[in-house]
Amino acid sequence: MSLVSGPGRAGVGNMPAEMQLFVDKHVRYIQSLDTRKDELEYWLTEHLRLNGLYWGLTALHLLGHPDALPRNEILDFLCSCLHDNGGFGAAPGHDAHMLYTVSAVQILATLDAFGEFEERVKDGRQKVGKFIADLQDSETGTFAGDEWGERDTRFLYGALNALSLMGLLDLVDVAKAVQHVHSCANFDGGYGTSPGAESHSGQVFTCVGALTIAGRLDLVDQERLGAWLSERQLKNGGLNGRPEKQEDVCYSWWVMSSMAMLGKLHWIDGEKLTQFILQCQDPELGGLADRPGDMVDVFHTVFGIAGLSLLKYPGLEEVDPIYCMPRSVTRRCLGK
Amino acid sequence: MASHGISRGSGSVVRSEEARQKEQQQIEAYKDLSDLVNTKIAEKQYTVEVLGLVTKLLHENPEYYTIWNHRRRVLVALVTEETQSPDELLQGDLQLTFVLLRKFPKCYWIWNQRDWLLQKAESLLGADAAQELWAGELQLVNKMLHADSRNFHAWGYRRIVVSKIERLGSSTTDSADTSSSLAQSEFDYTTKMIKTNLSNFSAWHNRSQLIPRILRERNADAEARRAFLASELGLICEAINTDPFDQSIWFYHQYLMSTISPSCPPNGFVVEDLTNGERQKYYENEMEYIKEILEDERDCKWIYEGLLGLAEAYLEVDAGTGAVTTKDMRAWLAELKRLDALRRGRWEDLEKRLQL
Repeated sequence: MSLVSGPGRAGVGNMPAEMQLFVDKHVRYIQSLDTRKDELEYWLTEHLRLNGLYWGLTALHLLGHPDALPRNEILDFLCSCLHDNGGFGAAPGHDAHMLYTVSAVQILATLDAFGEFEERVKDGRQKVGKFIADLQDSETGTFAGDEWGERDTRFLYGALNALSLMGLLDLVDVAKAVQHVHSCANFDGGYGTSPGAESHSGQVFTCVGALTIAGRLDLVDQERLGAWLSERQLKNGGLNGRPEKQEDVCYSWWVMSSMAMLGKLHWIDGEKLTQFILQCQDPELGGLADRPGDMVDVFHTVFGIAGLSLLKYPGLEEVDPIYCMPRSVTRRCLGK
Repeated sequence: MASHGISRGSGSVVRSEEARQKEQQQIEAYKDLSDLVNTKIAEKQYTVEVLGLVTKLLHENPEYYTIWNHRRRVLVALVTEETQSPDELLQGDLQLTFVLLRKFPKCYWIWNQRDWLLQKAESLLGADAAQELWAGELQLVNKMLHADSRNFHAWGYRRIVVSKIERLGSSTTDSADTSSSLAQSEFDYTTKMIKTNLSNFSAWHNRSQLIPRILRERNADAEARRAFLASELGLICEAINTDPFDQSIWFYHQYLMSTISPSCPPNGFVVEDLTNGERQKYYENEMEYIKEILEDERDCKWIYEGLLGLAEAYLEVDAGTGAVTTKDMRAWLAELKRLDALRRGRWEDLEKRLQL
């Protein structure tokens, strides 16, 4: 899976009146990503490979083409990124980190492959769960990304996401994690990377997601946060991540998923946002970009498509706003 | 992480044979360097020479997080073996991360390395040297925020740096000791940033975080606190008058209003002993001021949103004076629906919630 941007570019101006999602183009685009080894960018983005696989696979599932990537090759690659300590790196030889470990668990869940993983790795889930649990800071409840200690609510969310998918939430102190998230809340209802940090839509997604998994949405100032999130929509229909910043397709996910968890998706104009996301497609070579006319990449492709799924774009699989995975998958893993 | 804001232009996607060959050579060179570093590290060759290779590779790809980890492994070994002075190593890394941050200001791993370095320096070089180093970091953050005043990483790092300086400067563990506090100078910094650009919500946000602290540290009495609130309201009202279409400003106004509300958590109060009568007076004054702006800006939705928010707050503490009428609120809501169709669903919910 390549994280290389392009070769396509998003449509510029004059889109047809009828807004169309180019499903087949996007499928082919994602399938083509691992064939671009003759581009320097392919090698420069190796540190995102396992994330990229999760993004591409999720996009394909939402597009209704779950088998478009070779399942066995994915599992082989995934296992080649596993370290003895139960953590995953971005690619073989890359150090273990929370970010890739979460992607690995999401891929295993999406492929319904936990059984096969256990066959390949004895007590695989327990090992992965332990890697994650060991990264919790017992004093504050937050999580580090790896042994080097960077802390961020992104890692806390990732931990609860992956552990809940494996049914191993009891390995960590969820109440303490919840307390930490709550301490990151700001007067505007939003959340930052750590206590005192400015509200940011990406961080709002991780914090609201973590609280939803923990069953503590009651702690969220839902009116204020809903209002703040709704103000992310700009005149052109796109969403930004913070006040007075530019729109970007990936915020279609971070903002909308949070609004969906709060039951406030109707507080923005879905039709205009749909149009904006669709304008970011490359109608010829597939893929989505951050804005119309820019280079496409698989990151914006999945978050644009997941956004369209939340907007009930016809023909797409339902996405789970808490996990950014197909709802059918999370239902299977969580039993609810 | 991904390509943000990179325009493809209208050029051809097909590369010439020459360009293709050149790219092949670049790929080979990059892969060779990367393999070499990984091999040396696997062999635990934690030497100055390997550190140089790591530096070269990070210049080519600062997002390659494993290489930053390798770098730390080498640095720790070099310091332990005392082959190189810690200070020299530290200066080299500060220089490297500075150059890279200027080029890649949003790369998490570089900021992270900087933080790690300074923490290490503190344990190796002692508190006095660390104090000086952290003070130097403030200069770095100033430069980064000068280049991009909303840089999320820079603001976050700034808060870390400030808390370190304060902790190291504090001669006692007594939390009441505020001699080393930077709250006031940080507050002044937000004033400076706001005056340069009213739209800088990152600065407004940081200001809101500092206010309760500086009031505590000043031992501000009831009168001083009221004067402080008045001065903040003066500042924000002037900002509203300058650009009523800027949402950063309105969010800060909302923040100030939230500190007046009876439901404000006690550690967030600006004035601690407000009576409901005083609250009403504040809300009335704000409404009056905003209505004045309305006369020139009938199509600014933020004005109606502000008025409705104030009216709602007013009604919570109202003892039946009837200064806010349902008729007014209905009219403001109608304007919101007219001017802000994107959020129509929100205004409909608000209508129900306020029973208008």
